[in-house]
Amino acid sequence: MSHEAHDKIDDGGVHPHIAPVKMYIAIFLGLIFFTVVTVAVGFVHLGPLNLLVAIVIATIKAALVVIFFMHLKDDAKFNALVFVGSLLFAGVFLVYTMNDTGHRGQIDPEQGVEVLPSTGEFAPGGPARPARSVAAEGHEGEPVTADVVLPEHAPQAH
Amino acid sequence: MDTANSHEHGAGHDDDHGESHGHGDHPKFLAHHFDTPLQQFDTAKLGMWLFLAQELLFFAGLFVAYGIYRNWYPDAFSWSSHQLDPIMGAINTVVLLFSSLTAALAVRSSQLGQKSKTSMWLVLTIICAFIFLVVKYFEYEHKFESGLLPGGHFHPHHLHVVRAMHGAAAAGIPDHSGTFFGIYFMMTGVHGLHVLIGIGVMIWILIRNNRGEFSAQYFTPVELVALYWHLVDLIWIYLFPLLYLID
Repeated sequence: MSHEAHDKIDDGGVHPHIAPVKMYIAIFLGLIFFTVVTVAVGFVHLGPLNLLVAIVIATIKAALVVIFFMHLKDDAKFNALVFVGSLLFAGVFLVYTMNDTGHRGQIDPEQGVEVLPSTGEFAPGGPARPARSVAAEGHEGEPVTADVVLPEHAPQAH
Repeated sequence: MDTANSHEHGAGHDDDHGESHGHGDHPKFLAHHFDTPLQQFDTAKLGMWLFLAQELLFFAGLFVAYGIYRNWYPDAFSWSSHQLDPIMGAINTVVLLFSSLTAALAVRSSQLGQKSKTSMWLVLTIICAFIFLVVKYFEYEHKFESGLLPGGHFHPHHLHVVRAMHGAAAAGIPDHSGTFFGIYFMMTGVHGLHVLIGIGVMIWILIRNNRGEFSAQYFTPVELVALYWHLVDLIWIYLFPLLYLID
């Protein structure tokens, strides 16, 4: 399956590509560098960009670990397919689910209502209604009356 | 050489791979349903990658939960994230990254058949794993004392709570902050369980290495436990910024 991944020797033995210690240390230092960057960026306020930058840096670090520490670059291509395939499916899971939950209760976002005034159609689900901040002692605040008209089957705070 | 193995195999085997060596030199580590050490090695590794793919999809559920609730309750996530100690998180990140380096070097040493060096790197990796759990223990203890607990158990105490310096979260404790801590404890808890299991497996591999079971021809178990350990590191690489460093 993967004989090309094990150099040119084809005697049925295991002949791994042995990387120099220097390479491992260089990758480690790279990982530390990106950790410092991610912490530094965490203290800068970039708004929504913060999340994007954090994910991009984490992905660079993850790629370094997978490609060099886990030897995926010298490994059978099929193993890479298994790994990348699972990432792809995790992505489908994340994107489709968030596309759904992110738009719950938003039938007419332009007017900020969950009910189409013309038809009375109701958009269920979505985050719980915003309420007053909880007291530090931690009792759930009474949900304040939302500034939109809600039908009787409006979602309760959960 | 294991002659017993070759006898079992003897009569019916078809030598279609045309190797120069017969089953006479079937090494001890080679299970008799494999033709060659390479075939056995590749099979074991494919199995491990399939397991790691399963692990990723298992954690994906937690990451999706994180995504949904962060999207719904950004203020709660921002406020709650400030209750975590990024210094502790950063120390644990460095500890895990270093343990990944030592795990990779353990594999390298076992590839070269250097038994005592392999043991040394494995021991270092195990020590790092313990340090990680100790730091995690102190973090959890602080959260328990502060009442920063999941869902309905969320009852933060004024004195222990870190005030947010800016943004909407500065106003007070946002609703649904307990949800964040539910996700925090679940994600870090399941990850910590993986660290604990990793320690157990690495001790087992360390014992087997000390018994002299591995060589430059057969280091599969060392390689596989390192792959597992790198995945544990990989998950943490995402957990750290997502939990500790929310603006």
